[in-house]
Amino acid sequence: MSFFSRTLAILRKDLLAEWRTKERLSPMVFFVLLTLLVFNFSFELGGAALHEIGPGVLWSAFVFASLLGLNRSFVDERENGCLDGLLLAPGDRSAVYMGKMLGNLLFLLAVELISLPFFTLFFNLSPGPFLLPLLGLFLLGSASLASVGTLFAAMSSNMRLRELLLPLLLLPMVMPALISCVEATALVLKGDELARIAPYLQILAVFVVVFTTLSLLLFEHVIEE
Amino acid sequence: MSARLSNLFAALVFLSMIAALYAVFFYVPTERTMGLVQRIFYFHVPAAISAFLAFFIVFVASIQYLRTQEMKWDRLALSAAELGVLFGLIVLITGPIWARPIWGVYWRWEPRLTSMLILFSMYVAYLMVRSYGTSSARTPRLASVLGILAFVNVPLVYYSVNLWAAEQQLHPQKIALDPPMKYTLYICYAAFFLFFLFLLQRRLELEKAADALTDLQQQLSDD
Repeated sequence: MSFFSRTLAILRKDLLAEWRTKERLSPMVFFVLLTLLVFNFSFELGGAALHEIGPGVLWSAFVFASLLGLNRSFVDERENGCLDGLLLAPGDRSAVYMGKMLGNLLFLLAVELISLPFFTLFFNLSPGPFLLPLLGLFLLGSASLASVGTLFAAMSSNMRLRELLLPLLLLPMVMPALISCVEATALVLKGDELARIAPYLQILAVFVVVFTTLSLLLFEHVIEE
Repeated sequence: MSARLSNLFAALVFLSMIAALYAVFFYVPTERTMGLVQRIFYFHVPAAISAFLAFFIVFVASIQYLRTQEMKWDRLALSAAELGVLFGLIVLITGPIWARPIWGVYWRWEPRLTSMLILFSMYVAYLMVRSYGTSSARTPRLASVLGILAFVNVPLVYYSVNLWAAEQQLHPQKIALDPPMKYTLYICYAAFFLFFLFLLQRRLELEKAADALTDLQQQLSDD
């Protein structure tokens, strides 16, 4: 089997498992909504501060929700020795990373798309032309989180204190991506000329490419027993 | 390194530190606008450079460990990471001491402060993984991966933070220094560099002894 078809096989398995159990999506979406609720009380979001604080609130909610999903992505494989099975399969192991990473990316995107209407509803944004660039931003932002996130999830699934260590590893690491997402979202919501967003999109693209490549190279070392 | 050589090195570090202190507090003239507090600059900048040197060593040692699987590279990465966090902490402490009288506040979300804080937290996370993470056999491998990723992230952190807070930039991009100030800074660079090497060497020896002890205990319990 080629790298590509092995990647797809893993992705398909993860999506199917999620489709049957909905163990990850529904808690993640609910968690995003709760985070929005908490922030609403902390900042009086409905008012004029929306454009300044809104993007940060939105992305904080996404990052925290992503931690929940990422924690599951390798821990679930520990049950019944599933991970050993995956690793015993012949061929390049980085396909396991790639499949899982794409799965995490899709879960995160789904969570973001489901919770976006609630964000616009709660914070009195009328849906408008900002939606399209925002979707592109969601894609790049989620890919950034999924790229390092999947590698760190593989790492921490093997550790003591795993739920504790994953955020400690992930949060400082994704800071460049988080800054870019928040700033670019603020520009999009303000309806500024899109040219000013370009440098942030570049950072995100570089982040995704660099860390996906590095993760593919290093995954073997992380997963080896 | 033999004990005698090591002691000689320690004496050298001590002398260079005395020289640096003398230069900073007696030789160099007081800066005209900022006054006395500017003298902290001579510790602040060399500490920052030592921290980056340490992070770079972690990066190289991590790559070498993954290539060769030799424990000496892992010991080097661990020791350098600890020193990087230590010198980073010195930077983050001396900065606000200077900033309070000059900027009027201890902390501003200014590009270099922000970047340093993010980098510092990456390496604190690295040390946490090492101490709380895993059984000893897996730790070096996981830590190496982390040491590589963290260093690759450095330019991205700098670039994004600069873009984010460009108008907040308060650090001078280029400083013209009077000759005595320049010499003092050079002396401090030398002193900090020697101090860094000294700590690194001592830390490495400690770690080596700890590894040897673990091996001995292993052998004893096997018998």
